[in-house]
Amino acid sequence: MIKLIDVNKYFYRGEAREVHALHNINLTIEEGEFTVVSGPSGCGKTTLLNAIGVLDSISEGELWLEGREIAQLSAEEKTEIRLKEMGFVFQAYNLVPVLNVEENIGFIMRLQGYEEEKIKERVLEVAKILKIDDKLDALPNLLSGGQQQRVAVARAVASKPKIILADEPTANLDSRNSMTLMEMMRELNSREKITILFSSHDDYVIQNARRIILLEDGEIISS
Amino acid sequence: MFRTILHMAYRNAFLRKSRAILLVLMIGLSMGVMVGLEGLYDGMSIHMIDKTMRSDSGNLSLFAKKYRLENDIKYHIDNANEKVDTIRKLREVRYALWRIETSGLAQTARKSKPAKLIGIDIEDEKRFGKFDEFFKEGKPDFGRNGVFVGNELAKKLKLHIGSKVIFTTQDSRLEIQSVALKVKAILHTTNINLDERALFLPRERLNTLLALPKNTATQIAVMSTTNDVPLLQKQIQTLFPKLDVKRFVELYPQLKQMQDLMSIFNQITFFIVMVVVFIGILGVMYVSILDRIREFGILLSIGYAYRNIRLQVLTEALFLGLTGYLLGVLLGLAFLGYLTYYGLDLSIFAEGMSTFGLDSTIYATIKTGYFVSTFFAIIIASLLSIILPLRKLKKLNPIEVIRNSQ
Repeated sequence: MIKLIDVNKYFYRGEAREVHALHNINLTIEEGEFTVVSGPSGCGKTTLLNAIGVLDSISEGELWLEGREIAQLSAEEKTEIRLKEMGFVFQAYNLVPVLNVEENIGFIMRLQGYEEEKIKERVLEVAKILKIDDKLDALPNLLSGGQQQRVAVARAVASKPKIILADEPTANLDSRNSMTLMEMMRELNSREKITILFSSHDDYVIQNARRIILLEDGEIISS
Repeated sequence: MFRTILHMAYRNAFLRKSRAILLVLMIGLSMGVMVGLEGLYDGMSIHMIDKTMRSDSGNLSLFAKKYRLENDIKYHIDNANEKVDTIRKLREVRYALWRIETSGLAQTARKSKPAKLIGIDIEDEKRFGKFDEFFKEGKPDFGRNGVFVGNELAKKLKLHIGSKVIFTTQDSRLEIQSVALKVKAILHTTNINLDERALFLPRERLNTLLALPKNTATQIAVMSTTNDVPLLQKQIQTLFPKLDVKRFVELYPQLKQMQDLMSIFNQITFFIVMVVVFIGILGVMYVSILDRIREFGILLSIGYAYRNIRLQVLTEALFLGLTGYLLGVLLGLAFLGYLTYYGLDLSIFAEGMSTFGLDSTIYATIKTGYFVSTFFAIIIASLLSIILPLRKLKKLNPIEVIRNSQ
C-alpha cells in the first residue's frame, strides 16, 4: 500500500523557494490498483511519481510504502526498494544501450540474483506476452519506439515488482502502439496483481484506467 | 550480478572501438618500449658486472693484508694451491683459482706505458670465467715467451699479434727484472682495468721472474653458487683469518653505483610511462563517462547501486588497462627477445663506449619483474584514473538526468 500524508514538494533556486510543485497531497493507493495520474503539463504528475518511486525526496509530509516511512530510510535502502519493489517505465524508454533485449529485460532479475535458468524462462514469458520474443537478440537502437517501450515494460514487470510506475509511457507512441501497451498493462495488472501507477494526459490511457487522480497546480482535484 | 556488471563493463570498454584501440596501442607501445629500455639498462650493467667478475674478481677475492693498499708483492699469499683446494671443497663454491700480479712498465721500441703483468693458468681461467670468450685476436695458447695483451693497451702501444714487448718490474728481492715477450693474443674483457693495463702470461713464469716460490699468489678469486655471498665471505674469512676477503661490490663500488644508476633510470622511465598510462586511461574513462551520464542516471533510478557503478567503471578501466598490458607484454617480449639474442649494435659509438668498459653491442636481459611490476602499476593507474570520473558520478542525481533526457 502507498500512503501520502500532507505531502508538499518545493523546488528551490538558491535560497529562494521557486516552485511549490505538490500541495498538501493526501492519497492512498491500495495493492493491485490500476491508477492514472492525470492533469495538464506542469501540474506535478512526474513530481508525484518520482516521490512515490523514491527517486526524489519530499519537502514536507509523510510518504509510506508497504508500512515503511521513506524519509527514515538511507540512500542504500531507497536503492534497494527501487530495485526489489518497483518497476519503472519512462517516457524516453531508458534502456541500457549496450545490452540486447533479452539482457535488458532480465537486467533487474540478474541484479536481484535470480538463477540464470529462471531469468531466461521469465524473460521469454514476458517477451511473449509483449510480443517481442522475436527481438531478444537485438540491441535497443535497432528497435522502433513502440518495441523499445515494450522492452521497457517487460524490464519493469519481469522481476514481479509490487509497484510499476510509468511516467507518460505513451507520449512517444502512436495511437495503435498506445492501445497495445495499455491492453498489455491491464492484462499484467490482472494477471500478476501488480499495482500500476501511470502519469498521463492521453485520453485513451485515462479511459482505460480503473482510478483517475486529477492534479492541477500540484493539488489533487479529484481521486 | 557480477557477471552482468562484467558484461556491461566489457561492452562499454570497447563500445567506441577507435578510442579503445588508440588507448590500448598507447599503453602497449609505451609499455613495450619501457620494458625494452629496462632490459637494455639492466643488460648493460649485468653484462659489465658479469664480465668483470669472470675476468677478475669473481664473487669474492682474497688478498694478503695490506696488498690492496700498498700494491706490493711482498704482501703475497703463500701456498696458494692448498688454499684454493680448501676453498674449492666448500659446497657454495663453483670454482676458485689463484693469480699473481705485478706492476711495471710495458715498452716497445717506440712507446711505453705503465702496466700490470698478471700470471694466470689458462685452463683455470676457462673454467672460472670462460676466458676464451675474451679473445679478440689470436689463440689461448702462450707458446714460448707468449703474452696476451688487453686491447686498449695494445692499441696504445701499437701492438699486434707477433709484436714484441718488454716488461720491466721489480722482483721480491727489489731487483729490476725485464722480460721480452711476444704478443700471442689480444683480449677484450670490457673490464677497463684489464683492457687498458694488463698483460697476461703463465703464472709459474711470473713467479720465477719475481723470484717467488711457484705457488705464490697475490689474489685468489672465488666464483660462488649461492646468492648469499656475504655468508660465504664470512665462512672463507673464518678459514683464512690472516687474509682479506672482499666481495665484488667492495672491490668495484663504481660498478655497483652504475647498476644503481641504471636502476634509477629504470624507475624514472617506469614512472613517466605510468603517468602517461594513467593520463590516457583517465582521459578515456572521463570522456566515456560523460558520454554515458544518462545511462548511469537510468541505472541508478532503476535500482542499480552506486557501488555497482563503481565496480563497473573500475572493471572498464581494468579491461582497457590490462588489454594494453597484454599488448605491452607481447611487444616487450618481442623487443627484449630481439635485444637479448641479437643485441643493440652501437658500433658507431664503439670508441666512446669502450672508454667506459662497454661492448659496442649491448644485450638486453629479461626479468619477470618487469612484467609483474608493470602489471601492478597498471592496476594502480586504472584505480587512480577512475577517482575523478567516479566523483562526477557520485554527484549524479538520477532525477535530473531523466528529466533532461525526456
